[in-house]
Amino acid sequence: MSTSPGGTPLTQDEAIASIGTYAYGWHDSDAAGLSAERGLSEDVVRRISALKDEPEWMLARRLKGLDLFRKKPMPPWGADLSGIDFDTIKYFVRSTEKQATSWDDLPEDIRNTYDRLGIPEAEKQRLVAGVAAQYESEVVYHQIRDDLEEKGVIFLDTDTGLREHPEIFEEYFGSVIPVGDNKFAALNTAVWSGGSFIYVPPGVSVDIPLQAYFRINTENMGQFERTLIIADEDSYVHYVEGCTAPVYSTDSLHSAVVEIIVKKNARVRYTTVQNWSTNVYNLVTKRATAGEGATMEWIDGNIGSKVTMKYPAIYLLGEHARGETLSVAFAGEGQHQDAGAKMVHAAPHTSSSIVSKSVSRGGGRTSYRGLVQILEGAHGSRSNVLCDALLVDQISRSDTYPYVDVREDDVSMGHEATVSKLSEDQLFYLMSRGIEEKEAMAMIVRGFIEPIARELPMEYALELNRLIELQMEGAVG
Amino acid sequence: MTKIDHSKATLDSAHSHGVVPDVSRAARKTSFDVEDLPVPTGREEDWRFTPVSSLRSFFEDTPADGHVRWVVDQLPAGVSLTEVDPEEAQGLSVRAPGDRVSALAAKHTGAAMVLDIAPSVEVAQPVEIGIKGTGDNVRGQFLIEVGARASATVILDYQGSAKCGEFVSVDVADGASLTLVVVQECDQKSVHLAEWVIRLGRGSKLHSSTATLGGALVRMNTSVAFAGEDSRADLFGVYFANSGQHIEHRTFIDHESPRCRSRVTYKGALAGETARTVWVGDVLIRAEAEGTDTYEVNRNLLLTDGTRADSVPNLEIETGEIEGAGHASATGRFDDEQMFYLQSRGISEHEARRLVVRGFFADVIQEMGVPRIERDLLRTIEARLEDVDD
Repeated sequence: MSTSPGGTPLTQDEAIASIGTYAYGWHDSDAAGLSAERGLSEDVVRRISALKDEPEWMLARRLKGLDLFRKKPMPPWGADLSGIDFDTIKYFVRSTEKQATSWDDLPEDIRNTYDRLGIPEAEKQRLVAGVAAQYESEVVYHQIRDDLEEKGVIFLDTDTGLREHPEIFEEYFGSVIPVGDNKFAALNTAVWSGGSFIYVPPGVSVDIPLQAYFRINTENMGQFERTLIIADEDSYVHYVEGCTAPVYSTDSLHSAVVEIIVKKNARVRYTTVQNWSTNVYNLVTKRATAGEGATMEWIDGNIGSKVTMKYPAIYLLGEHARGETLSVAFAGEGQHQDAGAKMVHAAPHTSSSIVSKSVSRGGGRTSYRGLVQILEGAHGSRSNVLCDALLVDQISRSDTYPYVDVREDDVSMGHEATVSKLSEDQLFYLMSRGIEEKEAMAMIVRGFIEPIARELPMEYALELNRLIELQMEGAVG
Repeated sequence: MTKIDHSKATLDSAHSHGVVPDVSRAARKTSFDVEDLPVPTGREEDWRFTPVSSLRSFFEDTPADGHVRWVVDQLPAGVSLTEVDPEEAQGLSVRAPGDRVSALAAKHTGAAMVLDIAPSVEVAQPVEIGIKGTGDNVRGQFLIEVGARASATVILDYQGSAKCGEFVSVDVADGASLTLVVVQECDQKSVHLAEWVIRLGRGSKLHSSTATLGGALVRMNTSVAFAGEDSRADLFGVYFANSGQHIEHRTFIDHESPRCRSRVTYKGALAGETARTVWVGDVLIRAEAEGTDTYEVNRNLLLTDGTRADSVPNLEIETGEIEGAGHASATGRFDDEQMFYLQSRGISEHEARRLVVRGFFADVIQEMGVPRIERDLLRTIEARLEDVDD
């Protein structure tokens, strides 16, 4: 029971000892059932599909993903990914055999994990509309509020979504991000497991955020969740994804695919605060399409991970569609946050806005990498990009790579970036008011990211502030 | 050289370690050996916007069929123009070529021209050089050497119909000051691919203006390295692309010494189907370059449909001890409010457009520092604008 697949017993004390300052750095003993096999082969892919009892077309799609993953080169740009060893990663881990329907049905160690994340409390306070808790690659707990079901809102884990709504699934799965979009999207297509599936019917507004919590808990385990959100005409939904993961000594890979379809006059907001432990490669493909008059918003926080490469994209396909990305990145020692945004204006009178804020300290590196493309025919379109970076010390690094491609004359496109060091004047002023240097620095950083923090749900804003404080520890002196 | 087979990336762990992206812009390969710089496919970061498939002959390692001709009236005292062989030119260059075309230009240049300004000489009169090329496979290298504490204005006026690859090295020694004006009005069929490598010594100054108006395909790839502290570089650019033109400017400012200041300001207008411009402005602030102050601006004015403007201001910063760093890029059409305001004052639409374009370019053109060239340039741009109106 308390033996990891490598055969080495790992006690909770040992795990805690290896954690450092990481906020959620405990982990439960490794009880995952099918976690023995490492590495990727056609056999592994077929077994995942067979275990899930999937339709033939999904297996075919997975095998195509595997083929394209093998053919596609590693990206020659962005972060250094040479530390990923695909042969030592586990591509599928199942922690329990069937889905639980209430908290009490969950195995004790899993329940402990969630208790520490505060989910039951959140439930009690009705802060969440439904919780799809992803634990070790597969959803083990799922609950949705009755009134949502009554309105016809589907909020399931993706595996169940495929089983229960195959017709919606086949229509939309892979329609926004094709199998071979990039190497990691192909990998995800081959081995995906878990994630959220949401369908909001026409005219329905989901007035409380839908949330899902994720954790990785098996050493060297990959997490390849797949999320599909369809907001039908005139609907609204806010989806919140949070990630925390315990610390392990070997590198770990997280490679999700998120597809969102925002139909005519609908609005979707997708919020992530990513706090993977600092050994995780977080390589995520997120893309949304926005129809006529639709609004898509990505709120994206990147605090954790060793390397993140993530550029949430919005394809503005209908007239007057609007896209917005707000992102904040924080890179500490040994971290590289290569994040950004992509906006493709493919219809007239579309508008987009990107605001990116980043903080580097302790030798960390943040990169903003973005693309704004205004295609022929997208006349009357507007786009504005603002990047601000704050460097806290002499050894940290900040990069800005903003690509702009305009192919239409009747448009307006602006980009601005500033990079500044932490102001000594501000620091001096605060310290002269009797505020300690450490607290003063944290205040300045909080003020810097405030425009984004205020867009987050309250509990996330609080968590973000707490994480920033933790990250700033040791920044003085 | 090992070849990496990515199709086996998952099967053989050794292969999953294949690609490590460049750590910074400074990590790109430079070499005088053509073999070190493979023929680009168009997927490389520095070639991704260039139509490389139409440039095959430029990448071939074959002797040139022509060389550029330098036309000089007279040279002021303290200024000399000499020819050196490729080997000597290689020794004088501030660094090796960064792409295959310029490496081939250095290799097949025949004789390289060296414009030398003696130390401590203050040249009052601008040094004006006409550069003319003809031929389908022209390669050339030239060098500008500004001695310590010297100061001079150098005007280079490109004409002709050549398909030309060029490698230019500029060395501005300690305490020297160089004002450089490059006007490019080649024939509409010409192709001009140039790499400029500029080194600035301690306490030196570079004030450079580039006007790119002619040519079917022009690519100006300029690198400025601050080799010494307390130096300053101001780069200005003006470009105008009509139908069938591809005009590409790349600048790379390498802040490798403390307390240097750089400003890069490029403005362009595009008119007509397939008119295409690219501006890529890279700035690297290295860890040792404390006290750096840098800002880059690119603005593009789209005068008609069917044009395409790419604008990429990249910034890489390895230290927080800087004065400031930033960039701005904007691409758009005529400002409707300005047009409305002018027309409400009784100015015709045609005249209003002329005024707005003039205003758009004025600040950059005024920086050229040579009144005659400024006047000519404004006239040329206005003539180009007349064509658009039709």
